[in-house]
Amino acid sequence: MKNRCVINTRRGGTSALTIAARSMLLGAPLALFCTASVAETHGYVISWFATATYNQNWKEACPEDRNGGGLQLNIRNFMDIGFSREEATDMANNPALPNREELRERVINRAIVNGKHVNVYNYPDAVPDPNIETVTGPYAYGFDLGGDSAHKFIDPETKQKVDNQLWRAVGCTESYRAAPPQMPYPEELSWNTMTDSALAWAIQISGEDLGRDGKVTVTISRVLQHLERDASGGIVSGATYVLEPVTRSHNVLQGEIKDGVLTVTPADIYLEGEMPYFAEIAIKDAHMRFKRRDDGKLIAYWGGYIDWKRFAYMYTARPANGADTMGIYHAVKKMADADPDPATGQNRMISATYRMEAVPAYIAELNGNVVAVSSRGPAWGAQSARVAAADDRSPDAANP
Amino acid sequence: MKFSQSALALAALGVVVLSSPVPSATDAVAAESGAATAPADPAVLLRLSPSQYRHSIHDIFGASIKITGRFEPETRSEGMLSVGARLASITDSGLQRYDELARGIAAQVVDERHRDLLIPCKPQSATGADAACARQFFARVGRMLYRRPLAAHELDGIVAAAGDATSVLKNFYGGLQLALTEMLISPEFLFRRFQMEPDPERPGQERLNAYGKAAELSFFLWNTTPDEALLRAAESGEIHTRAGLEKQVDRLMSSPAMEDGLRGFFADMLEFADFETVSKDPAFFPSYTLSAKLDSQEQTLRTIVDHVMVREGDYRDLFTTRHTFLTRSLAALYGVPLVDKTENGQPQRWLPYTYPEGDPHAGILTHASFLALHSPSGRSSPTDRGKALRELLMCQRVPPPPSNVDFSVVQDVNSEVHRTARDRLTAHATEATCAGCHRITDPIGLALENFDAAGGYRTHENGAPINPAGEINRVKFDDPIGLGQAIRNVPAITNCVARKAFAFGSGRMPVAANPEWKQISQAFADSNYNVLALLREIALSDLFYAPPAATTVASTSAR
Repeated sequence: MKNRCVINTRRGGTSALTIAARSMLLGAPLALFCTASVAETHGYVISWFATATYNQNWKEACPEDRNGGGLQLNIRNFMDIGFSREEATDMANNPALPNREELRERVINRAIVNGKHVNVYNYPDAVPDPNIETVTGPYAYGFDLGGDSAHKFIDPETKQKVDNQLWRAVGCTESYRAAPPQMPYPEELSWNTMTDSALAWAIQISGEDLGRDGKVTVTISRVLQHLERDASGGIVSGATYVLEPVTRSHNVLQGEIKDGVLTVTPADIYLEGEMPYFAEIAIKDAHMRFKRRDDGKLIAYWGGYIDWKRFAYMYTARPANGADTMGIYHAVKKMADADPDPATGQNRMISATYRMEAVPAYIAELNGNVVAVSSRGPAWGAQSARVAAADDRSPDAANP
Repeated sequence: MKFSQSALALAALGVVVLSSPVPSATDAVAAESGAATAPADPAVLLRLSPSQYRHSIHDIFGASIKITGRFEPETRSEGMLSVGARLASITDSGLQRYDELARGIAAQVVDERHRDLLIPCKPQSATGADAACARQFFARVGRMLYRRPLAAHELDGIVAAAGDATSVLKNFYGGLQLALTEMLISPEFLFRRFQMEPDPERPGQERLNAYGKAAELSFFLWNTTPDEALLRAAESGEIHTRAGLEKQVDRLMSSPAMEDGLRGFFADMLEFADFETVSKDPAFFPSYTLSAKLDSQEQTLRTIVDHVMVREGDYRDLFTTRHTFLTRSLAALYGVPLVDKTENGQPQRWLPYTYPEGDPHAGILTHASFLALHSPSGRSSPTDRGKALRELLMCQRVPPPPSNVDFSVVQDVNSEVHRTARDRLTAHATEATCAGCHRITDPIGLALENFDAAGGYRTHENGAPINPAGEINRVKFDDPIGLGQAIRNVPAITNCVARKAFAFGSGRMPVAANPEWKQISQAFADSNYNVLALLREIALSDLFYAPPAATTVASTSAR
């Protein structure tokens, strides 16, 4: 058993250091606090990460169903450059459109700045808001972040009122009509393309007895290896990963397991990434709840505030994802619900929720010490709180 | 059937080539150009294994020559492919495969990248024949490929063939390529010939000729063709003297290439060629990745090389050693941590690993190479594992099941009544026709039930605790570690490895009652079962080079 003490980092996350080592390094009194004593530490790597979707009842969530898919988007784009609906529809349905390239250029450069045509993806504010349909249904995964009560969703799992304006903005978009194990298409494209090369993220959960309710410490970091695939294309359990020695992506959170659910004391977290859509995970006031399945896999929701421009940038930088890029840009901007810019009043942050999975893994330090063991089971806490391995999506959530 | 352009071109030019499928080893030789006399006894030919073929090509032409294509399937006899090699023929499709391999190799040897290095002369004209240059090339290469100097008429024939082909193609290197292709599909290359000659020291008796002896020694210890020094020892007759033979054996055994020989032997003995058909259901065994499958064989071979060659340990300790080598993929399969600090994206490294005391892994029986190879795709099989242990490692034979056996109880892994393999086998063995054989296999195999069909560790099956206790030769044990310790002390283990080592080199099992074999066996025991000492004893024995009739043995005589 060893005692660990932690100190806040400049990013609001925390990094674990022994008191002695830290004092030797800085030679100054520090505002330290010590966590609960540690008897065991279980390791994981994040094997699945995406915007949390809730698509049990599309008609209820998006009653107008007017955003459509790629065809409707093309029609709208042609209309934006001056064609009538009938003309635009004919053109969008014509696979042999003779001047397709020229039209494509006109669509892309339909923004006008200082009298010049410019790329709409570089100047999204220079085109009108397409006003895409946003979610008006009652449900979304998330946490109560203390936001405006008029915008609350109900979390289908916890039945609590939650803030998740990102889902409101994107949830009626065709490519977000996904349910785990599917990710929203643009995110899945990015994840699956980069999984075999991008450095992975690890989670360590430490506590006196992780088989029982009690205080825990959750450490989220980046590791020096990419995820290892298993024989069916998923992520293998039980592999060993080495922690990145720099502390930029090192977050230490305090938490508690109660009735089989681990929740953390909200804190800001930051993880550097290498994937489009996940070039970073930067969540202010991050709330988290984890469950552990019988096979040892973690299923979690992470919610908090993210920079809406960073999310929107992923769309404007990669417009060929079958989604209405301008529509999403303006929707996310409109729905942003925190951190108003003092000069403009425009909110800079938007409430959001991610869903993640993590498989058991050994976590080691660069010096070879194994600091977290891979444990394949069982689930935490009471039987009633266990997540069924076959369906972790809480079947009862469909009709809360 | 298709033949190479070279075969067709040479045939059109009147050169005698293989013009029909080779139904048997004897026929293969008989059909050859007539350069060599076909031996009367087919047992004196051994077809090169794929690994011997690859090693030979790389040793003769260099490792940059890519060998692409598949080989004729091998035949296993007496538990060894190297014994089956003396029974092996070349089929229609096999000849086609060898032809494709030969064409690919010959094309690379003469291409612009390699010709300056591998062809010792330049032709007077790139578009015309140059018999002197061709002769220089084929004299050297032919000696290496055929493992003996070419007879004058052989060399004349191949040089003429190259010249004729050059005249047609207007390309000197094209001519060399076609003629080299023919050499590569010649039985003189594809088969090892045991050419006997009168023994001057024992009038009236025969001995293996010097080049045959050099080849036998080289394929035994290096798993490849003889090098220049060995061919010179054959040429001078030095290899027929005790001192000369000792010099060559010690030279070969002190070379790093000795590892190739050890690997070839143990891969054959452990039946790793069968991995080509191994697969596991990824839904049940997600950790059994392609990397883990390939690495598992390498893990065992590395462990053996380390134990036998580096540590010069007691062979029996291979069944108890906690030292091994792992990659991250294998470590994940076994559920143990392995800290690999290799830069992201680089190939996984092999790292030494020692299982801690108390860990259920120890010895090669707990390697996935054994556990997964001898399990069906969706479940473990104590019977298959027990049978494999007896047959592969103890040289015993387990009879096949009767044709009318009902396997339904054994295969019902979802049974709510018989939840563990022990339960199912106990129920199955109530059938009298099954009980006898299962008594031979199951008490051993059940001790490995803590490892699933892919080699992953488990304590329960279908929610029921696994009891890994077992027994062999009236020695009881409680778990896989105990099994390894019990097996270590079974005499059949050391007898078997010695016999199979002899067979790997000679293509035949030794007669257990042969006095010289008894001496070799005793020397192995006296060395504390040092495998290198065993190989040296075999390589220096007369028995190893004796005519086939002296050592061929009925399969039951040693059991």
